[in-house]
Amino acid sequence: MSEVNAHRKRDIFVEGAIAPSFISDSIAKHATRHDIGAHEIFLGQVRADMIGGRSVEAIEYTAYADMANEQMTAIREEAFARWPQMTCLHVHHSLGVIKAGELCFFVFASATHRQQAREAVAYVTDEVKKRLPIFGKEIFAEGGHVWKTNS
Amino acid sequence: MQVLLFGMIAEKAGADRIQVDASSLDQLRTRLVERVEGLATMSYAIAVDRRVVQQDMPFTGTEEIAVLPPFAGG
Repeated sequence: MSEVNAHRKRDIFVEGAIAPSFISDSIAKHATRHDIGAHEIFLGQVRADMIGGRSVEAIEYTAYADMANEQMTAIREEAFARWPQMTCLHVHHSLGVIKAGELCFFVFASATHRQQAREAVAYVTDEVKKRLPIFGKEIFAEGGHVWKTNS
Repeated sequence: MQVLLFGMIAEKAGADRIQVDASSLDQLRTRLVERVEGLATMSYAIAVDRRVVQQDMPFTGTEEIAVLPPFAGG
């Protein structure tokens, strides 16, 4: 495998919620990249849905991590092929119990111009929801739980 | 062969992995329904070596098999 084609083994999963400070640090790390003209970010936050009269206080995320990371590599390759002016793409997803109001999903694309970054983030966000084997147990404040399903 | 279970399916089975003897995907489907109560009425996919497979295929016994309930990432 040539150095150019070699893929770094990446793991998108982080234990616990994604801290807002992690997001600002991620942005700051790109200050040295003077070819970047636009950043686009999607942040997923746990919502306190009401389901059958009970309110969701947290989601416990689990995943088939090996398959999820392989799928993410494929999605990443698709995105870089489709938006060649994208300079970098970072994706992080939480595992474990994430409380309502906390962040659980972070997609961050940078490009020379805004259109490429915007389109790439929209694509990657949708594909992650569709293709990554991540499972969510919605835990009710009143006790009990249901399993979340992406529509 | 060892079969990995996730989410609501692991919860139903009371385990995150079970031992199932199957020489093909179709045979595995039949055995899984016998082993995991309520599976027949649940929505799920089967991954072979970390890819979702629909069509029947023979197993050599070295495959990594997983039963996946609906995805909920994001």
